[in-house]
Amino acid sequence: MQAKAINKKKNSFLDKIFKFINAMGVWLVVILFFVILSLSTDTFLSYANLINVVRQICVNALVALGTAYVILGGEIDLSTGNMCAFTGCGTALLMVAGVNMWIAILIMLIIGSLIGALTGAIVTYMRIPSFIASLGMSYVILGATLLLTNSEPISGLPQAFMTFGRGYIFDVIPVPVIILFIFFAIGAFFLKYTSFGRSVISVGENPIAARLSGIDVITTKILIFAIGGFTASAAGIVLASRLSSGQPMAAGDVGLTAIAAVFVGGTEKGSAMNVLAGAFVLGLVNNGLNLLEVNAYWQKVALGLIIILAVLLDQIRASRAVSVKKK
Amino acid sequence: MQGDGNILVLKKVCKEFPGVKALDSVDFTLRKGEVHALVGENGAGKSTLMKILSGAYVKDSGTIEFDGNVVDIQSPKASEKLGIAIIYQELNLINRISVAENVFLGRAPKKNGVIQWKKMYKDAKALFNSFDINLDVSKCAREFSIAQQQIIEIIKAVSINARVVIMDEPTSSLTDNETQILFRIIRSLKEKGISIIFITHRLDEIFEISDRLTVLRDGCYIGTKDVKDITKSELIKMMIGRELKQQFPQRNVQIGEECFRVEHISDGSKVKDVSFYVRKGEVLGFAGLVGAGRTETMRLIFGADKRTKGKVFIKNKEIQIKQPKQSVSEKIGFVTENRKEEGLFLKLPVRNNIVSVAIDKIKTLKILDFRKEREFCEKYVNDLNIHTPSINKAVVFLSGGNQQKVVLAKWLLSDSEVMILDEPTRGIDVGAKREIFEIINKLAAQGKAIIFISSEMEEILGVSDRIIVMHEGKISGEVMKKDFSEQVITEYAFGGA
Repeated sequence: MQAKAINKKKNSFLDKIFKFINAMGVWLVVILFFVILSLSTDTFLSYANLINVVRQICVNALVALGTAYVILGGEIDLSTGNMCAFTGCGTALLMVAGVNMWIAILIMLIIGSLIGALTGAIVTYMRIPSFIASLGMSYVILGATLLLTNSEPISGLPQAFMTFGRGYIFDVIPVPVIILFIFFAIGAFFLKYTSFGRSVISVGENPIAARLSGIDVITTKILIFAIGGFTASAAGIVLASRLSSGQPMAAGDVGLTAIAAVFVGGTEKGSAMNVLAGAFVLGLVNNGLNLLEVNAYWQKVALGLIIILAVLLDQIRASRAVSVKKK
Repeated sequence: MQGDGNILVLKKVCKEFPGVKALDSVDFTLRKGEVHALVGENGAGKSTLMKILSGAYVKDSGTIEFDGNVVDIQSPKASEKLGIAIIYQELNLINRISVAENVFLGRAPKKNGVIQWKKMYKDAKALFNSFDINLDVSKCAREFSIAQQQIIEIIKAVSINARVVIMDEPTSSLTDNETQILFRIIRSLKEKGISIIFITHRLDEIFEISDRLTVLRDGCYIGTKDVKDITKSELIKMMIGRELKQQFPQRNVQIGEECFRVEHISDGSKVKDVSFYVRKGEVLGFAGLVGAGRTETMRLIFGADKRTKGKVFIKNKEIQIKQPKQSVSEKIGFVTENRKEEGLFLKLPVRNNIVSVAIDKIKTLKILDFRKEREFCEKYVNDLNIHTPSINKAVVFLSGGNQQKVVLAKWLLSDSEVMILDEPTRGIDVGAKREIFEIINKLAAQGKAIIFISSEMEEILGVSDRIIVMHEGKISGEVMKKDFSEQVITEYAFGGA
């Protein structure tokens, strides 16, 4: 017993460090990358580059926010990437056809949410696993985008529309950053301070117990997919604005990057801010590798390994947390 | 070969689990070519004994002789090698491959490493024909009824040279007709000199098919009898009579008017026309054998499963329940039998779990109020004496008893008027059990109607004001407090003497 007590004292300093790491979580990695990149390159800290990084992160982070709801609710949505391209093009087409910009945006946000809800309905009512259901929907959305645009970019958008992706407030803060901030503030609030947020977490943890506790599991699941569709649509609009056009093939692997961002951020605690940090990590890695002039193909390899490593670290952290709690 | 004709002789077999003596010096003898029924109440030790024979558990002490040789069964493989086959209630056939492939799984006839399909089908056909069974062995296993699948499994076992076949409640999901077909197979196995250990909850079947029977009670060997020398009521007398050791906290509650009533509830298979009522402040016990349909009945009432028929009334007013959320808003609470799978969010903190049902109570202007949440949670942690370092601790780290108290807390916070407690003391220690009983008393004193399911005879007799006994999906009896006795409950549990 005595030996144990001494042992404990020895560990207490380590425990303190560990507690700090645990509390900071993935933000620590963000800071670490930030420091490394600041020291190893002279271009990273330039205003132009930082703005560029943040703007790139915006689209991914917006998609990741909705994806985090889906993943916390115990499902997955693979269709968000194509959803981005779809709403970007849809908004562009509507505006080119003469629809008022705000109405065009509103229409596409609603359509995006409804498509998400449809995916959710397929998952819940037809009992098709979300991996398959969202994969199928992903192709349907891609096909719809190609049909609508004839696979050609939609340009000639009103000047006012460019503000969302390229504008600045007070000539310093990019508009997409403001959008990002507002979305995350609302997203984090709903997750933490409403019973809906609790329902999402409960359903994700144990859908059977959730149902027997009187939680409406089906509605909750449909709503998380609708949220996923909504944020992906918002991201698509920001993207179209940044590119000054609706690009049918622009979204690429945005959906998958968003899923990666959620896992890198760590869903364990169910915090929206961790998701933001996850998106930052991926954005910094991408930017850093560019600045260090790493071959583009190797960049992909590195990104993949970093995603796996990040989740591995999170698991070690979680199991460490378990063993500490058990003491 | 020995002359006495015994294939299996168990002497003084013991098995202990932490805190429980599951088998205490059990003797058991199985003759060649006999059907031997193994009988006992819930927890008598039947399954433990069978698991030792099938190699799922290893005995602590005692000897097992198989065909005259002392053997040591260390694994399911070892048991299979000896020639002991066990047919479980859940079938173990692979659904999507043919009957012939199932029968010859892992030992298909091969030539140069290639499976000889023709020979396999021919052999399988011949095997079934030798039992006068005609079925298409090239069809997938899932195309056959449960009874047929069971027969396929038995014949598969015999074809692997099984000399002892253990059947664990093989008839529980069969119709009368199918049961007769199964019995025909059992008789033809007997003729071939194969011995059968038959576990059933249907006493009539014991008298119909078995030659001898052995009774276990509380892990102890009670006796072995020739079936022709014993009557049904003598058999029940052998099964009961366990020592009552536990003390139950006293309750002095004035039972009020009727509060909750269920009429003719059915699900078309496992629950058949169940009706009952509970009064305010009353603890209504539900007794019966495991699998009698008690949990299924409660799930129907709560809206967790679909009912085909039946009505539910609260204070004489019919209520519509199709989903658990409707039960929750009607103030019905349901502490489920499997707390980890159905009751708790294991990785979430105690606080999330406690407020998961009555989340509206902790809101201020639609927004979650963490101060209120903390106050409510701390109140219940104190009231129910939940041992946890903090309400932020994930429930997975709590002991079974404390986890159960968290489940109780979530229903208490939601002000449930009717509380359904399904095996609330399962897997928790004696001290925590007593605390649960005290909580039940408190709830009764508050005028709540309590439905208490338990498979432990002592507990159900000690805690209930009135007991309903179920047998095979039906209510087989209702017993008032003045008539409480183990004999009566057991008789009803086995379908009435």
